[in-house]
Amino acid sequence: MRTRWIVRMTSAAGPMALVCGLMAGTLFLPVLATAKVRVVATLPTLGSVAREIGGERVDVEVLAAPGEDPHFVDARPNLILSLNRADALVVNGLELEAGWLPPLLQSARNGKVQAGAPGFLDASSVVSRLDVPGGPVDRAQGDIHPGGNPHFLYEATSVARVAAAVADLLSRVDPAGAPIYATRGAALVARLDAVGRDAAARVAALPAPRRQVVAYHKSVAYLVRWLGLAEVATIEPRPGIPPDPGHVAKVLSTMKATGANVILQEVYYPRSTSETLARLTGARLVVLPGGAEFDKGESASDHVKEIADLVIRALGSE
Amino acid sequence: MKRFVGLALATLALAAGGTATAQAIPGNPVETVPMTAAPPPLATGGASVGVSLDLAFILDVAGAWYSDTPMEVGGHDPAKTGFNFQALEMSVQSNVDPYFRFVANLALALDGLEIEEAFGQTTSLPWGFQIRAGQMLTRMGRMNTMHPHAWSFVDQSLMIGKFLGADGSRGLGFELSWLAPLPWFVEFVASATDAAGDATARSFLGGGEWNVHGFQDFLYTVGLKQFFPFGREWSLAWGLSGQVGPNATGHGNLTSIYATDLYLRYKPLGSPGRTSLSLTVEGMYRVRQVPQDSLRDWGGYASLVWQFARRWELGGRYEYVSGLPDDPLDPQWTTGRHRGALEASFYPSHFSRLRLQGSCDVPRWQAAPIWGAVLNLELAVGAHGAHVF
Repeated sequence: MRTRWIVRMTSAAGPMALVCGLMAGTLFLPVLATAKVRVVATLPTLGSVAREIGGERVDVEVLAAPGEDPHFVDARPNLILSLNRADALVVNGLELEAGWLPPLLQSARNGKVQAGAPGFLDASSVVSRLDVPGGPVDRAQGDIHPGGNPHFLYEATSVARVAAAVADLLSRVDPAGAPIYATRGAALVARLDAVGRDAAARVAALPAPRRQVVAYHKSVAYLVRWLGLAEVATIEPRPGIPPDPGHVAKVLSTMKATGANVILQEVYYPRSTSETLARLTGARLVVLPGGAEFDKGESASDHVKEIADLVIRALGSE
Repeated sequence: MKRFVGLALATLALAAGGTATAQAIPGNPVETVPMTAAPPPLATGGASVGVSLDLAFILDVAGAWYSDTPMEVGGHDPAKTGFNFQALEMSVQSNVDPYFRFVANLALALDGLEIEEAFGQTTSLPWGFQIRAGQMLTRMGRMNTMHPHAWSFVDQSLMIGKFLGADGSRGLGFELSWLAPLPWFVEFVASATDAAGDATARSFLGGGEWNVHGFQDFLYTVGLKQFFPFGREWSLAWGLSGQVGPNATGHGNLTSIYATDLYLRYKPLGSPGRTSLSLTVEGMYRVRQVPQDSLRDWGGYASLVWQFARRWELGGRYEYVSGLPDDPLDPQWTTGRHRGALEASFYPSHFSRLRLQGSCDVPRWQAAPIWGAVLNLELAVGAHGAHVF
């Protein structure tokens, strides 16, 4: 009996040892793979900021794709893997990622990037917010974000503030690289400030009637502040609520009354209503990229400059 | 119950009161004071005004018609012709401290309160480990891990109802999971929970009072969850799971359930308007030891859901669960049962949904199929709901 038990255990020991060895080996895989600081950013523009400041010292992964609606990203489990291995996490905040980030963070098993940890940065905490509700949030107003409008990555000044905070974040998680991060961070801030000043000056040179725009979603508030535009109407009657014919008629009459000649919308929203309005009024439709082309190496300063150029070109054309 | 509702309302009032701190006219763009005066960031990753607890209520009500007495198997299914109160779910979540997250999901029905889940979950254990402890849904299969409001269809699958229970497989206990440090997502899960519960462990000890005498009296669940991303648009999740535990026939008899689930999803990034196509296939095989015999049955479902516009979704589901001539648990269910359903959903916003579902249930031991039509309304208020993949 005893012999049989020993034989059974011995025959099982080989495969079990193999499994245990594999498991133990895989524990050290990430350590061996890279010694760089692993940064995860929820949105492509934030990823571009981190990559520009971190340079060779960091590996940056981005959770949302450039053309993806940041409100509705699938919480795919491979993103859990990225968060599990991260040394630092940069999120947009203001509940922009509330529909998908919480379950990912919950499963990430990584104390370094949980809210409040030194490796966590909520970018919205350093920007000057717009559209902050004045009282209790009522969803009859649409999908209102209680902390304010979360689309600040369309504004050069806000991205510059985020860049400075990302430099601080990287210095916290990798003190040895602090001088490099400070230098590169300051350079990026300077580039963004220059883009910001230049674009604002170009728009200021236009007559006031030419500075009016219509937006599809309540997402261009920061762009409006930066460039000194006037947003005369929003195609969505309330944030997150698709347009109905009655509201579209109102937008049409507002556009005709004000002479607003440019419609702004992101690449991930349906275009049929905007195209109809553009056709009826002769306005130009500007489709804004959802975020920096991180995968193609686009820098954050080039991205905000591209947005400003697209808008200014449309505002300035006859 | 009254005391609970009072507590819930008080909590809600507290949360609502907490949001009324900023001074501005709603809808007007205002420049906020500098960041030193800004509220602290929310635990979930968003900076919000004065809220430290994610609190949400989700209501599901339905009007239904059936051609014969319906044989729905889920605890929150629309189970009669006429008006149905399916559930009022309350979800409370918050980080406890840097080490634990608190999660509770309560279901309020017209006749009482049900604690679906209330557990603590570690957030920062090293080496990819995570522990949950408390009352929780086990990670058995795919549909069982989701709450009813996350389902595409208005009712529970036959397989879950017959093999796991009207409320799915859940219980008090603890779970250890491990995220393997491999290039793709591989998670191992193991849990030990109560083996008793009429609606939560019906293939095991079921209802009644049971005492624990040793490790053999618990229900053990193990799972292997894998995920394969094919680019940014295609996703494939594949799970293998199993349960073993004592059953109510005594003599050390065990029940084992083996399950596999597959979820294939296509979400094109370049298409404005949020379209997606999702295929889910899930199956279970159950073996029950009974005196002088062993009962074996199986079941499964396949569903295809197509979100073809920002507000619209269509779905189809086919199910089959086998039956046994002398099944002490389901004496009626003597042979196979087929069921097909089609659903159309309209989302007025991200927080509300109207669903029309038509179904044809064919229990082969009955002379005629049962036709059904259900119109369901789902409303969510409170914190943004976030769903797992």
